[in-house]
Amino acid sequence: MLRMYRMLVIASFRSRMQHPFNFVFGTLMAAVVNVVEFSLIAVVLSRFGSVQGWSTYEVAYLYGAILLSKTLYRTVASDVHHLEKYLVSGDLDQMLTRPVPVLLALMAQNVTIYVAEFLQSAVMLAISLSVLIGSGQTSWLAVPQTLFVVLCGAIICFAIGLATATAGFWITRIRELQVITEDSARFAAQYPLSLYPKWLRYVLCTAIPVGFANYIPSLYVVRGELGGWILAATALFTAGCLALSMRFWRFGLSRYQSAGS
Amino acid sequence: MISVTNISKTFRVPVPVEGRWAAARALFSRARTDKEAVRDISFTIERGEFVGYIGPNGAGKSTTIKMLTGILHPTRGEVRVAGLSPHKHRTDVARRIGAVFGQRSQLWWDLPVRDSYDILAAMYKVPDRDKRERLARLTELLELDEFLLTPVRKLSLGQRMRADLAAALLHAPDVLFLDEPTIGLDVVAKKRIRTFLQALNRDFGVTVLLTTHDMDDIEQLCRRVMVINRGELAYDGSIEALRERIGLPTTVKVTFGGSFSVPDRWEEPFRLAERGDDYVTLECNRSLISTMEVLRAAGAWGDIADVHMEEPDFEDIIHRIY
Amino acid sequence: MLFAVLARKSFKRNLQYRMAHLLQNIGSLVFGFVYASIWAGIGAASPLGSYGPQGMVAYVAFNQSVLHIVLFLTNGLGLEQSVRTGHISLELMRPTPLFYQTVSREVGNIAYQALYKSVPLFIFYFLFFRLPLPSHPAVYGWTALSLLCSAYLAICLQYLIGIAALWTTESRWLFWVNYACHLLLSGFFIPLEWLPGWLRHVSAATPYPFIQYHTTRLFMGLEGPQPIIGSALWGALLTALCLGATRLARRKLEIQGG
Repeated sequence: MLRMYRMLVIASFRSRMQHPFNFVFGTLMAAVVNVVEFSLIAVVLSRFGSVQGWSTYEVAYLYGAILLSKTLYRTVASDVHHLEKYLVSGDLDQMLTRPVPVLLALMAQNVTIYVAEFLQSAVMLAISLSVLIGSGQTSWLAVPQTLFVVLCGAIICFAIGLATATAGFWITRIRELQVITEDSARFAAQYPLSLYPKWLRYVLCTAIPVGFANYIPSLYVVRGELGGWILAATALFTAGCLALSMRFWRFGLSRYQSAGS
Repeated sequence: MISVTNISKTFRVPVPVEGRWAAARALFSRARTDKEAVRDISFTIERGEFVGYIGPNGAGKSTTIKMLTGILHPTRGEVRVAGLSPHKHRTDVARRIGAVFGQRSQLWWDLPVRDSYDILAAMYKVPDRDKRERLARLTELLELDEFLLTPVRKLSLGQRMRADLAAALLHAPDVLFLDEPTIGLDVVAKKRIRTFLQALNRDFGVTVLLTTHDMDDIEQLCRRVMVINRGELAYDGSIEALRERIGLPTTVKVTFGGSFSVPDRWEEPFRLAERGDDYVTLECNRSLISTMEVLRAAGAWGDIADVHMEEPDFEDIIHRIY
Repeated sequence: MLFAVLARKSFKRNLQYRMAHLLQNIGSLVFGFVYASIWAGIGAASPLGSYGPQGMVAYVAFNQSVLHIVLFLTNGLGLEQSVRTGHISLELMRPTPLFYQTVSREVGNIAYQALYKSVPLFIFYFLFFRLPLPSHPAVYGWTALSLLCSAYLAICLQYLIGIAALWTTESRWLFWVNYACHLLLSGFFIPLEWLPGWLRHVSAATPYPFIQYHTTRLFMGLEGPQPIIGSALWGALLTALCLGATRLARRKLEIQGG
């Protein structure tokens, strides 16, 4: 299975490299927009010091962690996000005639390495961690813990993305739904959830659980609140999300009404 | 090889909402109606058969094919391909079948043709030696060598179809599903594909199920034809018997050089379908009257300047079956 | 009148997708909500200058609502695509100036977005955050005029981006650069006086402050209608640039062919 995935990924890389200009160009633009987006909050925090007790470096940690998780998800599970395209064109039919699980095939289509996002999120995490460790707020243990948090976060992002895509089996057009469940929810998770009113916090920890991708575990990892058990709880929660979304996916796939003729 | 018992497929489609605020109400409307695309179809296809599957657009052709290939699950009834249900054992069945959909390619658009074969071979777990042997044979039969290293996006339609056929056969499937394999091709390319398919079926015993709109495909390739209409199997039998049943419907367009007049009635068994300023369109059944006889009769109406034989209307043929 | 016909057509074309747009609005709502919450959070510990915590929420809410009028326009007004398809020669051949055609088209688009996106968003924010409204009726008039100017400046910028495709073939990067500049320099999230000094100078040299910052402050009663003069001047300058670029484009096409 893994060999198959690797083979397909290499194939989609080679396809992509047929248009190197687009690749370089896309990377550069993503870098510009992402850096500007974070600099908005950085400028504000450098002026006012902190937001509800969260320092610039702590916010940078949240921001970097969710960005890295999302980037991992989009790299490993590439075209799950673009299921709509396959539903509309009927290309999903093609995949169903092959002896490879549809989800795996989708994950390996059009794989991109998001160089800009990887670099930016890694740099942000590195800087914020080194400052936080240097100031004694947290210890070296935070480094492996962060890797673990990012991994769980990537799986949660994947689960949310997969569940949203699955809705496409009924409603076909999912772009608008994705704006809500993926884009705006992740955007909210870039900042401390404590900023938001209770109801939104609940939504972000249950229905669209991006809160578990970075905010909740980071309470322990960088702020020393709660306790070590929260990491175990996050792992458990992540596994639950993954299982649920996979189950939903299988159900959706069995309800697939091939539309293209 | 393929056995289909009483399958039906019902789609649930939303009822269109009309009137004021239609768009808003449609969003919350739960109203669904059942649309039966395929109704209670049964048939068996033996190993080595070459079967044509025809019917008008929207008759349920592709829905049937999709159920046979495991893309759709039948609402009722059972499908067996090589003894397995494509519904419950999708990946196992996928390994035993090949499929070519004329409208879309299964090759990797930006990669050389050969790379697609490498990927597919890995997907279908074809051992290296088998892959080399089969590819060599397919290359020879389909004359692939001229474009084996060309990216798929640069192939002509005919080349792409040949490449796609080879892709579907690389894992030596027992059954081959072909959906409009000659669509959009010129006469030469069509002939090449047909010759190959004939050889494939004759020499390697591959079972083929072919859907097409091209009656020539059916006449030249299939010994057995199934006709589907409005979701039901309207005919299943030999091509000869079908021909007897519907005759040989033919349409002739006759253009006159000068003025012409059409009499009120004539003896010969053909009918006037359309009358224009300088032409008439005539329909006849060649099992009852030869085209020459029709033209002789029309010659009495005026000076014939041009004669054009037209492809018979497909929908029309189907209606004749009843 | 051609202007009205083109504008109405693009308004109508959008109407078909209003259900989808309504869903999109929920996403936009969350974005604005997050931005407002950040300021509310900071306001808990800081008086936030002349705005005050409530004022900053109102500032961000208004800015977020009008984004659909001043930022989220058609990429390059669709010109990049018409360059790629060669359609551009056809559009240049028509008896009406290209600039006039494309602006008319986009005005319909913006009118639609104002009605189906900006207004619902603002109403929601107004109810949810209990935003203060200007008490003086003249302020509404000035704000509307200022918004019109903002939209016009944004259209001009998109036009320049679109027509640049004739020389760079790929003008999408300009679109993203414009987007990034807008976020940072228009005062959409950070009032300009709080930008670091050098950024403030950069911003002052561009039309971006007139696209959002001044309009929003005008609406909030923090400044008078004088900046509209600045908008108008920038509008005149950008119009001249657009017309100049069109002339160059025409010449280029005449010499080199479509």
